[in-house]
Amino acid sequence: MLPVPVILALAAGIGLVALLFFGAGALAGHTVGRLVLLVGLLALPLLLSAANFSYGVHQSSRTQFCLSCHEMQDHGKSLFVDSKQALAAFHYQNRLVDRDTVCYSCHKDYAMFGDVKAKLNGLRHVWAHYVTGVPKKIELYKPYPNSNCLHCHEDARSFVDAAAHRPVLGALSAGSISCLTCHRIAHDMAKVETDDFWQAR
Amino acid sequence: MTRKIKRAAIVGGSGLLVQLLAALHWTPATFIVSAVLGAPLVIAGGMLFIAAVWKNMRDKGAV
Repeated sequence: MLPVPVILALAAGIGLVALLFFGAGALAGHTVGRLVLLVGLLALPLLLSAANFSYGVHQSSRTQFCLSCHEMQDHGKSLFVDSKQALAAFHYQNRLVDRDTVCYSCHKDYAMFGDVKAKLNGLRHVWAHYVTGVPKKIELYKPYPNSNCLHCHEDARSFVDAAAHRPVLGALSAGSISCLTCHRIAHDMAKVETDDFWQAR
Repeated sequence: MTRKIKRAAIVGGSGLLVQLLAALHWTPATFIVSAVLGAPLVIAGGMLFIAAVWKNMRDKGAV
């Protein structure tokens, strides 16, 4: 879907800059004109660029954006597989995460610079897509951190009360045992290959 | 001064145009083009404008 407000604002900005280009001679001659030039050629374009960048960063967190690269489409399909063990599918199908930002919700770190790191990793993905080539097997850059799971589950009753979790709560918090030790299937790519999908009724 | 302001307008306007074209088709690649080409062009246009004004003020002995 086109970002109509962004497009309109940028088009208006370009129109204003064009007007100021032709009127620069007359405007530069008096104080009010110089103020108009200051706003139109400096403040407004910078503000528009900041707003556009902010919009772009927001858009880049969306599922649709992640799946716009063909390399990620099988991972996108894995959200729909018929499996209660596959973490991605389970979280997506049960709306445990916002479907519009499902990739980002689970794959960004929740530490102070988590967002920045996620965006920088996104740049690496684009670099791989266009320059170095995408590896045959897509893997995480580092082991999946428990903190990403615990960000939501840590004080959830269903998590704390689960008998299997109780003996290892400390180890999970410390990161000495990975959540994926037991919950081994993150994306069920085998079911993607066999087209074993769940259909919402 | 007018010529320099016009140059600043062209550079800044080009930056906005790049961002507009990117916004018409948001993909990872166009977002990066918008961020690494469009936004810096706008900043460059702004700096050219400031430089033009600064030089003009200096020539007039205002600073």
